[in-house]
Amino acid sequence: MIDFVNVKKAYPNGTFALKGVNLHIDDGEFVFIVGHSGAGKTTLMKLLLREERPTSGKLIVGDYNLTEMSNFKVPYYRRELGVVFQDFRLFPKKTVYENVAFAMEVVGTPKKMIRRRVPAILNTVNLAEKQDSFPQEISGGEQQRVALARALANNPKIIIADEPTGNIDPKMSLEIMNLLIKINKLGKTVIVVTHEKNLVDYYKQRVVHLKDGLITEDKVGGMFQ
Amino acid sequence: MKRYSLFYFIGQAFRGLWRNGVMSFASIAILMSCLVVIGGFTLLVYNIDVNLEDFGLQNEIIVYLNFDLEEEAIVAIGDKLDSLDHVESVTRTTKSQALQQMKQEYEVYADVTEEENPLSDSFTIIYQENEKVPELKYQIQQIEGYRKLSDKADLASTLESFKNGIMLIFIWFLAILVVVSVFIIVNTIKLSVFARRHEISVMRYVGATGWFITLPFVIEGIIIGLVSSITAYFVEWYFYSYIETMATEDMKMITIASFDSIYLYVLIGFIGLGVLTGIIGSSISLGKYLKQ
Ligand SMILES: Nc1ncnc2c1ncn2[C@@H]1O[C@H](COP(=O)(O)OP(=O)(O)OP(=O)(O)O)[C@@H](O)[C@H]1O
Ligand SMILES: [Mg+2]
Repeated sequence: MIDFVNVKKAYPNGTFALKGVNLHIDDGEFVFIVGHSGAGKTTLMKLLLREERPTSGKLIVGDYNLTEMSNFKVPYYRRELGVVFQDFRLFPKKTVYENVAFAMEVVGTPKKMIRRRVPAILNTVNLAEKQDSFPQEISGGEQQRVALARALANNPKIIIADEPTGNIDPKMSLEIMNLLIKINKLGKTVIVVTHEKNLVDYYKQRVVHLKDGLITEDKVGGMFQ
Repeated sequence: MKRYSLFYFIGQAFRGLWRNGVMSFASIAILMSCLVVIGGFTLLVYNIDVNLEDFGLQNEIIVYLNFDLEEEAIVAIGDKLDSLDHVESVTRTTKSQALQQMKQEYEVYADVTEEENPLSDSFTIIYQENEKVPELKYQIQQIEGYRKLSDKADLASTLESFKNGIMLIFIWFLAILVVVSVFIIVNTIKLSVFARRHEISVMRYVGATGWFITLPFVIEGIIIGLVSSITAYFVEWYFYSYIETMATEDMKMITIASFDSIYLYVLIGFIGLGVLTGIIGSSISLGKYLKQ
């Protein structure tokens, strides 16, 4: 469960990126966040990732109250989230397998568990046969699937994707989106920020519109506008 | 260190050092030079102390008594000296002990018998503070049976103030050199962090803890400190031995503490200071990651 209660966010330079957001997302929901450039979508994601803290208001994610959480808890909180970026952020010198394994290594997962789990996740994103390829040897869509696999590595409850299809061609985008839907069906909460009207309209999921730091519309089966 | 071998962190640390080799080398060279200079100063001060002791100049007054005193009177004087303020210890040298010493040092005394002994009993006083010497001397001169005293307080205080001067320069040097060393290590580690910023950002997103992210860099700092201090040790050893040989062969006046008698302190001191500098330097550059 995610709860934004009258959340405001001002950056140090004085820009108010969020001006009082109220948003409730239940476990297992699929939500598109849409809005024009500068509306505050990425800021919303950064607050969820606890990369930024709200200036005021209340933000609760599951058992964590992000407005009061102390710094040392942040890593443990982040293990409940899986994040995917527009630019993939894969390591060029690591294979597909190693890129996914990395996420587990750095949180102290035993080797045995890693060896068992990575192939299973790669299977989920339909990349089992590419596990020994390097990122530059696979397509953009495939790279994003690797990033998605990495986001799933630590079995998070929530998947956050900020413009996951921004850097890949439309056909591949559809594939990524299908995967996100599939992951959602597996029980994970999925939040997707996107600009792609076609995709949003096609999937008929809950759509939250942000405009100038405020939510202007929030409708299941909504359209991009 | 849950399930994680230290080797991982050490491996990462060496990768980092290797990646910005030039900076790593520069930090090691600078930290090493600083340690050699600091060590040089410390050893200089230490040797001044050794020489002060050797010359018998340090905090010592010798009180010579009249020739014809009874044993009881001598003992009484000893007690009186002992009871004076700022006196740390009083040691008696009987006239026959004094004669034995003279016989050892000068040939002309070889034939002198106990009956002919021209010397008197004396007391050697060790006092606590140089500033109290005039007062102490005055009080000694009031004691009956006192004949003369010899103190080298003036010379001692000259050497003492020379030593203090060196200490003062040394402390400034130490401060500056430590700051310089910390500064260069901070920048080396910063470069290393910069080279891995991509990896670090992913680590943070997937929930790696602050210490997991920072430990390789702290170890990097420690390695810089260790390598610098061990190299500095050998350099210091080389120079010191050179001076030691020169001093013992050409300037018999001066006593130089042998390196064998101090090597352990030098080594431990260097490693301690080097590693500490490394840890401080890396911690400064990692502050924001430790806080998450
Ligand atoms: N670090 C920052 N410092 C200052 N202002 C910022 C910062 N990040 C974002 N902003 C400002 O906050 C507002 C919202 O930015 P945000 O990145 O959340 O928008 P967005 O909806 O993600 O836009 P886009 O679709 O272009 O990615 C913008 O006016 C932006 O200029
Ligand atoms: Mg954005």
